[in-house]
Amino acid sequence: MPKHSDEALVAYLDGELDGAERRHVEAWLEADPAVRDRLAALAQSADLVRSAYADIVNEPVPPRLIAAASGAGGAAQAAPQEAEILVLKRQSRTAAALPYRRWQVGLAAAAGLFGVVFGGAGTYFGMGLFNPASPTAETRLAAVAANNSWLDNAAGYYKLTVNAGDNMLIDVPATSDTSEALQKISQSLPQQVRLPDLKPWGLSFRGARLVVVDGRPAAQLVYVTDNKAIGPLTLVIGASKQPDIPRTFERRQDVNLLYWRHQGRAYALAGQSDIGWLWGIANDVAWQLDAI
Amino acid sequence: MSFRWKHAEAPARAVDHSGERADPASARFSEQLIAMLPKLRRFARGLAGNAAGADDLVQSACERALARAHQFEEGTRFDSWMFRIVQTIWIDQLRAREVRKEDGDVAEERLGTDEPVRRIEARLALSEIRLAVENLPPDQRSTLMLVTVEGLSYKEAAVVAGVPVGTIMSRLARARVALQQQLDAGGGVRRSAKNAEA
Repeated sequence: MPKHSDEALVAYLDGELDGAERRHVEAWLEADPAVRDRLAALAQSADLVRSAYADIVNEPVPPRLIAAASGAGGAAQAAPQEAEILVLKRQSRTAAALPYRRWQVGLAAAAGLFGVVFGGAGTYFGMGLFNPASPTAETRLAAVAANNSWLDNAAGYYKLTVNAGDNMLIDVPATSDTSEALQKISQSLPQQVRLPDLKPWGLSFRGARLVVVDGRPAAQLVYVTDNKAIGPLTLVIGASKQPDIPRTFERRQDVNLLYWRHQGRAYALAGQSDIGWLWGIANDVAWQLDAI
Repeated sequence: MSFRWKHAEAPARAVDHSGERADPASARFSEQLIAMLPKLRRFARGLAGNAAGADDLVQSACERALARAHQFEEGTRFDSWMFRIVQTIWIDQLRAREVRKEDGDVAEERLGTDEPVRRIEARLALSEIRLAVENLPPDQRSTLMLVTVEGLSYKEAAVVAGVPVGTIMSRLARARVALQQQLDAGGGVRRSAKNAEA
């Protein structure tokens, strides 16, 4: 078979031929069984190559590469914990002061309905001594411990939710009307929660849970997908009086976390997908929630 | 399709070490870059042939991209721009190795620290396919990764490689045929792959 024939067959498989060329190849295929076999073999080898490299995009990205891409060099790997504190406090702003989007559901009711369920966790996260205005060794230790607890908590709740599989604990399952689900959960939280739409990522909202972080209620939104490279994912949203921080990567308990604070809110997106996917989804979440 | 270069903007730095957000445009650039890391790692793995070498390649590419962020123009394909940087660095590395080989410094380039791992992995069908890819000449390997694995069109791959579309077409055909021959000669690769999938 002449060389140009292979070029035509490969380009045909890749959809790179124009109408006339494609018809020419198709006529050729129809006339010659050997060419059909050749085409099938070439198609199969392409499929094999794609599958041989498919899993690499699902591997965890080494922190040194994330640091390099962030322009942080080696310093990012030694990021100071005290700069990344996430201590949740009760949200004091009124609902009217916050911007609305179509998925927004207002809420400002008192916490406590689900506090009984998760009351035990309050002891574990009781880091109320932290005071950012007096950076003594004690408060720094408390800050680091609080941050660690917060992140461990976000990772732990993720694992708890995901390991339960179909029996996962959902306080308010998503129904055909997700706004109704959010209204229900909103009644138990001191701050507004809105639902990011992650359908473009193939993620559907499974439901919401109330969790306790640092003794305060927070919302954990659960998203699921058939695509194991991406989901399931959870998004924890709590309140914070700490300064804003940009999205920051952390890995806890084999869970990848991207967390950030913006205007009185603390966010943590948790999942076992690789950081590249997680980063893109976190950007989308931040954009949708005006949390950039 | 061709790249247009801008020279007016200051070099980008994404996020400084104090945690404060730097210039938003720079932060967006870094976010794009981070989001692309999985694909860059895959492309680099196809070129370098081993995980450590591939990640070194990606790290160098990230550093170069950030230093030259002002040369990227919004509206052009960021992934193509990054693939091109990875490929350029890789070609530079290949040339440097060729020079060292001529000097007699490096005899067995492929026998790195990954070799024992490579031997174990070689029992697996999919790794055999990766080895077959690694046996292709560099230009064919790169074209195969760009088009067949990363899904670029011939035109886009031509921009990345800096060659005419016809060259991409012929490189790709030679790569696919050579690969097919290697897999046929490898005996059972395709059968093993099928079994693994089953």
